[in-house]
Amino acid sequence: MDRNGHRKIGVYVCHCGLNIAGTVDVEKVAEYAGTLDVVVVSRHYKYMCSEPGQAIIKDDIKQYELNRVVVASCSPRMHELTFRAACQDAGLNPYLYEHANIREQCSWVHKNRELATEKAKALVRAAVRRVFYQEPLEVKEAPVNPNVLVVGGGIAGIQAALDIANGEHKVYLVEREPSIGGHMAQLDRTFPTLDCSECILTPKMTEVGHHPFIELLAYSEVEAVSGSIGNFKVKVRKKARYVDESKCIGCGVCEEKCPWKVDSEFEVGLAKRKAIYIPFAQAIPNVATIDREHCAYFKTGKCRACEKFCEAKAIDFEQTDESIEIEVGSIIITTGYDIFDPSVISQYGYGRYENVITSLEFERITCAGGPTGGRILLKDGREPESVAIIHCVGSRDQRYHEYCSRVCCMYGLKYAHLIREFTNAKVYEMYIDMRCFGEGYEEFYKRISEEGVKFIRGKVARVTDRTISEEEKGKLIVLVEDTLLGKMIRAPVDMVILCIALEPRSDTEQVAKIFSLNQRADGFFMERHVKLDPVATASDGVFIAGCCEGPKDIPDTVAQASAAAAKALSLISKGRITLEAATAHVDEILCQGCGRCEETCDFHAPKVIHKDGRWVSTVNETVCKGCGACAVVCPTGAMSIRNFTRKQILSIVDALVEV
Amino acid sequence: MNEFEPVIIAFCCNWCTYAAADIAGTSRIQYPHNVNIVRVMCSGMVDPIYVLRAFEGGADGVIIAGCSYVDCHYINGPVKCDAMFERLKGIVHTLGLEDERLRREMISTSESIVFAHVVEEMVGQLKKVGPSPFRKVREDITV
Amino acid sequence: MTLDDIIKETNTFYCLECGKCSSICPISRYNPAYSPRVMVEHALLGLEDDLVYNRELFSCLTCDACQPKCPSDVNYPLFIQKMRAIASNNGEHGECAHSGTLQSLTRLVTNPAIKQRRLEWLSDEFHTSDRSDVLFFVGCAPYFEHIFDFETKSIDIIKASLKILNYFGIEPVLLPNERCCGHDMLWTGDVETFKRLAEHNAALISESGVKKIIFSCPECYQTFKENYPNYVKIDCELQHISEFLSEAIEKNEVSFKETKRTVTYHDPCRLGRHMGIYEPPRKVLEAVPGIELVEMKHSKEESLCCGTSAFTNCDLYSKQIRVERLLEAKDTGAETLITSCPKCQIHFRCAMVNKGEEKGPDVEIEVMDMVNLVANALEEKN
Repeated sequence: MDRNGHRKIGVYVCHCGLNIAGTVDVEKVAEYAGTLDVVVVSRHYKYMCSEPGQAIIKDDIKQYELNRVVVASCSPRMHELTFRAACQDAGLNPYLYEHANIREQCSWVHKNRELATEKAKALVRAAVRRVFYQEPLEVKEAPVNPNVLVVGGGIAGIQAALDIANGEHKVYLVEREPSIGGHMAQLDRTFPTLDCSECILTPKMTEVGHHPFIELLAYSEVEAVSGSIGNFKVKVRKKARYVDESKCIGCGVCEEKCPWKVDSEFEVGLAKRKAIYIPFAQAIPNVATIDREHCAYFKTGKCRACEKFCEAKAIDFEQTDESIEIEVGSIIITTGYDIFDPSVISQYGYGRYENVITSLEFERITCAGGPTGGRILLKDGREPESVAIIHCVGSRDQRYHEYCSRVCCMYGLKYAHLIREFTNAKVYEMYIDMRCFGEGYEEFYKRISEEGVKFIRGKVARVTDRTISEEEKGKLIVLVEDTLLGKMIRAPVDMVILCIALEPRSDTEQVAKIFSLNQRADGFFMERHVKLDPVATASDGVFIAGCCEGPKDIPDTVAQASAAAAKALSLISKGRITLEAATAHVDEILCQGCGRCEETCDFHAPKVIHKDGRWVSTVNETVCKGCGACAVVCPTGAMSIRNFTRKQILSIVDALVEV
Repeated sequence: MNEFEPVIIAFCCNWCTYAAADIAGTSRIQYPHNVNIVRVMCSGMVDPIYVLRAFEGGADGVIIAGCSYVDCHYINGPVKCDAMFERLKGIVHTLGLEDERLRREMISTSESIVFAHVVEEMVGQLKKVGPSPFRKVREDITV
Repeated sequence: MTLDDIIKETNTFYCLECGKCSSICPISRYNPAYSPRVMVEHALLGLEDDLVYNRELFSCLTCDACQPKCPSDVNYPLFIQKMRAIASNNGEHGECAHSGTLQSLTRLVTNPAIKQRRLEWLSDEFHTSDRSDVLFFVGCAPYFEHIFDFETKSIDIIKASLKILNYFGIEPVLLPNERCCGHDMLWTGDVETFKRLAEHNAALISESGVKKIIFSCPECYQTFKENYPNYVKIDCELQHISEFLSEAIEKNEVSFKETKRTVTYHDPCRLGRHMGIYEPPRKVLEAVPGIELVEMKHSKEESLCCGTSAFTNCDLYSKQIRVERLLEAKDTGAETLITSCPKCQIHFRCAMVNKGEEKGPDVEIEVMDMVNLVANALEEKN
């Protein structure tokens, strides 16, 4: 025992009024504690947590030169911090303190005085043995870099960036596409108010483009992230547009003159764009981009028409990708969603019948700036006489996505309204449930249901062009069971709109790896806690918002984006982070560099590196949570958790089984 | 006297089961005194040596209790504990100890009644099964 | 035992401080803090505390590379063993690997009242009996399956050994409540536990009435043969399975199938340098047609230890020694590394666990016990 240095332990047993003393003989416990090895003072007092109670401890620390303290009282979850602070006040490191729970886990749960007192003695004995092996720990703080990185320039990213930039802190907004705006820029009218998506989005986009505190890195991607909360180093690759952003004025002449046509991603393949293009009229940044894959000059060395006609001399075929490194203190991921490809549901005929379209395609059709100038038309240019809107395509489906995509019922109703407003078509809504949970949503549903829309409750079995009667000729037949009537329905329509699922981006796994994020079972990024921490992640300092966290509508997206911004602003405001002191620690002589610790940790704290000619694990103490899993898998005992070392815990076990 | 009183060591995770035990106290739910709780930060922190050491010392039963799969403060602690527990069960079984002596539980903060019930149940079972055959191992060996 | 007693018993007094021990010592080569010569020097200067409370006292592998080189024939491994007994009495145990699980287990089975379930892996495929003259000592394999987070193949060694014995018409006795032989306890200084284990095993063996004990583990074999006689009486012939097989091959009692494979053989310290058994395993391997045996750079008496002893002080240096040995094995171009010690196999397999994103050196090679190769190659006699 002596070899661990000269220990002097003080033990304090609290009466807690009658809460403890009413059952446990606290005097006997204090007397017993006094007989234990290296306990130099042992007292009992009515209320240890009170000012005079704490004063006793502080006085004793000075008088007896105590270097370890034990208090036996209520649960440590109540007053461990109180007594740690008291020790610290008296000049004793707060981790040289241990707490024995003789109230919640002793006097309050056992009635027999003798047994409760014996148990209290055992608990005190265990605490005394444990504190013997405790070491002083430094409580460290690290500074927080006030810059923020927002990844993804859709409405979530735009909102988060603006919230932070308006607080006069610098934001880097990285967007993979040539322009910000995301999927919201492709939407026509937004439910339930039916205001135009571009109209409410564009002012925010413009604000981002001009904001003095936002550095917009469009047509760029994050390649690597290192560091940890408060201090991230991020490598960003700015892809070459082959257009000088500082010179281009967005006049669009190059696009006009370019002879090469390509399917437009923005128009979801319903229209063409040119090899040099501005994705849509309100693009920010409003500069052209050359699509290298489809540009004749890059493929064959011929053309250069854009260069010829560009008055600003902005075309630059020599441009290369540029890699930059930025330093930020927090990261907000707002990478949005992909849409489900319904061609896998072959019975719905997407890809086979040209008038079976997805919801996003329909958005482009109704949009005034879209491929049909806002007119609802079939592929052959006619107006439809009837339209079926099929809900839950790819959602609520065990074969594809079990979750509900949350927005489809509402936009399905929206389409019904638009079709009724602008055409004379009959509208069928094939639904399973109507989910109208938000502000004004249920009212919207009521309104639409009074517009003569036919609601059929049932999951559509098939869309077919095989007709069985003269009336059906030339139509698409939607076969569905109307479960409320108990009848099979054949609904002949001209157009079928599929309400497709929102799904995680196809590269979610790679992105998760870069930012050390976890994915949920449904594929979206995992939040720290579903109810109580929905925008934080297991990686400290990395937040998620919007549809990358799960399907949601615009109000919820914007709310989450602001929530994530608030988290970042809170970090910036404090300016420093307190690191967990009870972290994992590597004994470099015992470590064999096997990597089991690295593999098991969910927080990416330990990492095996090559150092001084050997392989060894190092722990990033900034992110280590002290959960202890790495120490359990370590075969040599190299890994231990400060303040929860094997020796300390074994000393408790030994003390408790001692008769 | 003379009735056999089993000694049970319970490793409880700070965030769920230890809190549940605290709430049992606040609610004055009574349970047998035979259990002694060792606070760990996570059920994933429990090393097989802690359990073997408890048996070496003569403990009659051991409980490892923590969060459920969706509650864990450290995300996957229970999964890691499961992996350790599979191996620990094998060791304890080969040693010839009865199944009742080692128990794995998932008790969340709101389940203080479950905690009390588990303790009661285990005390009852151990009284039937009898004292651990290892009760006398460490009498004179100091390690 | 006092320090003086130990010095006398182990010839340490005759040390010339020539340093030949340190130059051959595998630990010394990697660990700057460890030197056998310096340990002996401390003893001779009477600096007992500098030995007893020195972490490095438990770094020695007791591999016995030193003693054959020592001009004064200092029994260094025994010196270490005895010093560790003093250390153990002072509460020093070295750094127990695997959190001390193995050590705890060994202490637990000293209990007289336990009824272990050691033989649940036994199936109808293997024939054992209560009345044989021969006992097969299983060892700790039934526990190894549950302790390590990788496959140790320890039970495979037992099964192969049983298959081999059955082949010769032997249906050995297996003790269901067999205790750990205590090798690790003796070598880390816990003599009291070792004694109890020896007493239990002696009583069980005496009860069984067997006349011969066969071992597949060199540590159990050495412990029974060399150490048990100091504490208990075991009236049996003791044999390592490689000796048993080698005898049978000489008497032409076994035929093998063609097995095309290049192998290299690792001499375990306990079987090789400690017990002098180098040739029998080689005879066995060479008797299997198609096997090509290529020796490593260091073989037989020069063999390098696998790097860890008694699951103690398993550290960076142990890993470096292991990596060196595995690279030597790979250098021979052999497909398989054969050994005849379950502990060596565990340590080699552990070295191949490489889970970090940045991988360490590639030491992957197939590892197999000699009995596994032999058991698969046995051909029905006609």
